[in-house]
Parts: sequence; structure tokens; C-alpha cells
Amino acid sequence: MKMKSLIMVVFAGLIAFSFTTNLRDGGKPWPVPDAAKNKKNPVAKSAESVEAGKALWSKHCKACHGAKGLGDGSKAAQLETEPGNFTKAEFQAQTDGAIFYKTSEGRDDMPSFKKKIADAEDIWNLVNYIRTLKK
Amino acid sequence: MKNYFNIQYPIFHRVGIVLLFSLAFSVTNLMAQDETGTTEVVKVKPVKNTFGSTLVMNNQTVMVPIKGTLQFDIQHCFGTVNNGSKDLFGLFAPSNIRLGLGYTLINNLTLGLGITKERMQMDLNAKYALLRQTDGKMPVSLTYYGNIVIDTRAASNFRYDAHRLSYFNQLLIARKITSKFSAQVAPSFSWFNNIDGYVDSKGDIQKKMNNGHFAVSVLGRYKISENSAIIAGYDQPLTSHPTNNPHPNICFGIETTTSAHAFQVFVGNYYGIVPQSNNMFNRNDYTAGNFLIGFNITRLWNY
Repeated sequence: MKMKSLIMVVFAGLIAFSFTTNLRDGGKPWPVPDAAKNKKNPVAKSAESVEAGKALWSKHCKACHGAKGLGDGSKAAQLETEPGNFTKAEFQAQTDGAIFYKTSEGRDDMPSFKKKIADAEDIWNLVNYIRTLKK
Repeated sequence: MKNYFNIQYPIFHRVGIVLLFSLAFSVTNLMAQDETGTTEVVKVKPVKNTFGSTLVMNNQTVMVPIKGTLQFDIQHCFGTVNNGSKDLFGLFAPSNIRLGLGYTLINNLTLGLGITKERMQMDLNAKYALLRQTDGKMPVSLTYYGNIVIDTRAASNFRYDAHRLSYFNQLLIARKITSKFSAQVAPSFSWFNNIDGYVDSKGDIQKKMNNGHFAVSVLGRYKISENSAIIAGYDQPLTSHPTNNPHPNICFGIETTTSAHAFQVFVGNYYGIVPQSNNMFNRNDYTAGNFLIGFNITRLWNY
């Protein structure tokens, strides 16, 4: 009986570990083409732009990335790739162009928003709002 | 035409006409300003998200999805609440359902089709955004919505196949008044090829109703958070029929939207879902408490 319990605990542990491994895989590098990386943000970081970006964040991003960009949204637990922590310096060190590119193109669990948010200015507004998440 | 404006509701009629003329005048006035204005070219973008969805409860809104969007609609109306706990306020009563698909083929134009349980109706519809509200230039958004509905019940219900058809045409005029509040007024005309008749005391066949019916809908949305809103509407029949005059509709509810969905739960008087059925045949009288619970779910995919 003891052996049976031990096997079950080990099995449960392995399953838990496999999920952890998947999450770590989500942190794989996301290369951004130089042209996109160096693209200049044409939208000034005005209060109006940040407010527009916040509305878009709330509608399109919050469910996975969380209200404050911590990666703790209500759907985050269902994702196979880690949604990341946008408050960290590591994330914020990216250029505006890189964040714009990743938002537009998407990868794995992260959807492409270039069709859903058809106006590029709106994605720049979103980038401006994401900058306010920095701690 | 005179028959259809045999004014049973003179106040609403006059208010509607004044409102329409005011909107038309304001648009003309602004266009005149454009012609004589400065030569500086400023790119003016349309106001976004006047409403959270292409539907608000029982009515269309001015919203047309962006090009390449496929929309799936699930619309549901339960029975009236009048039986109380006997049928759990209509939730266990017979209900009406519509499933619809729409695709935005080109910018500003959506074509769609749907099926509705009541009278086994199939609808083909089109929606075109004619004008978009812009800051300081165009005061309102204007969209046309129209449909053709085929009643697909057994042939024994119809003398001629043409009697299966009904039509609906509506002009939707809306304004996002503040970032939180949007309002819409929408005059409409419904037409049924076949209307029930009766034999009068002289033995002559008389129509119970006119084939055509004018109505006007007013609705509004007030956002209570980024993604949630209170929605309310009122539909007023304008045409007076010989018998069976339809009742107005009062409806209110809540809406929540996500990146790809809109959810609405509401209480109202309309049961028909298909707009011309609602406008022509609504028998639920709000003064008698004939309210029912309904919900809409829309799902969007972008291609």
C-alpha cells in the first residue's frame, strides 16, 4: 500500500514538473527583425494616447497579461507559454518597435493583433500604455 | 404611404421627424463649412467603439466589423416572466433562438445569414456603414441595415410561395456623445408579403393589418467600466393597423465585451428576434408586465 502511495506521489510530481517545464519553454527568445526593432514610435506618449492604450489593454490583453501586466490574468493558467511580466526592467528594456512587432505578429499562445487592431496607431497607443506598467 | 402614417402616436412621429431633419441639417451645415474652410489637410479618423457590438439586444447598431471579420451570433429569448416560479420566470417556457453568421467582405459592408426558430425563418441580411462619426467634422455615424426573410414552414401554410417573404429596411443614426455614453435612433420599415385576413359582416375579406409598418427604435449604452456597460432601448410602432396593433418594446440589460466576444443579458418585451417580426407582431405588452429574459453572444474571428 505504501509503495502504491509512493508511486502515485511520484507520478503526480512528474505531471506537475512537466507543466513547469512547459512554462519555462515559454521564455524562449523572441527574435525581432532589426527594421521592426528600430522602428520609431510615431505616437507621442500623451495622456490621450495612454488612455486609448489602456482601453485596448483592458479589452485585448488583460485576460492573459493581467490588469497590471504581471502575467497573472484570468486566462494565464490555461496558457502553455508564459505571458511574461511587463513590469520588469528586462521587458521594458525592449524598444517600442519590438513591442509593436510582437503585438502585431504574435507567436504561439500570443495572438496576432494586426487584423484585430487594424489601425497601427492603436497598437502604438497600446505600446505607450505598456510603458506605464514599468515599476 | 398615408395608410402607414395613420398616426396613432403623434408625439413620437413629430419628435422623430424633427430629430431626423435636425440631424440632416447639421450634416448639411458641416459639409458647407468644409467647402469654405481652410486648405490645411488634417487626417480625421472615425470615432471608435460607438457600441460594443453590432447588436444591442433586439436591434442592430451602427457598428460594422473591420474587413475580413467573421461574426457568429447566438440570440436567445426565453418565455415571459408572467407565470412566475411555475416556469421559473420563463426560463423553462418555450424559447426563441437565432443563429447567425456574418462576414465583412469589404470595408464597411457585412453580409450575413441566419436561422430563427420562430416560424422557421431564414434571413439574408446586409449592413453598410454610410457615414462614420469623426471628431469635429461628422456629428453622427449612419448605417443602413436590410434583410430578406423566408418563412420556411410547410407549403400548406401559404397560398403562393411569394407569401413566405418579408423585408426589413432600417437607417441607424448614432453618436458617441461621450467616451462612456452613446445613443442611437433608427427609423425602420417592415414589409410582409402576406398578412392574415378576416371576413367582415358583409362577407368581404379584410386585412387584419397593413403589409407595411413604420417604426422607430431608440437605444443607448452607458459604460460602467472599460468592458462593461448598461444598455437600454425603446421601440415605438408608428403605423396604425386595422386590428392587432403591435405593442412597443422597452428593454434594458448589461453588456460585457472581450477581445473577440460580446455578451448581453437583458429584459424586454420583444420575442421575435427577426426585426420585422418584432416590429409587426409584438404581442407582449409592457403595461401588463409581459417582459422576458434574453441573451446575445457574438463571437468574432479575423481573417
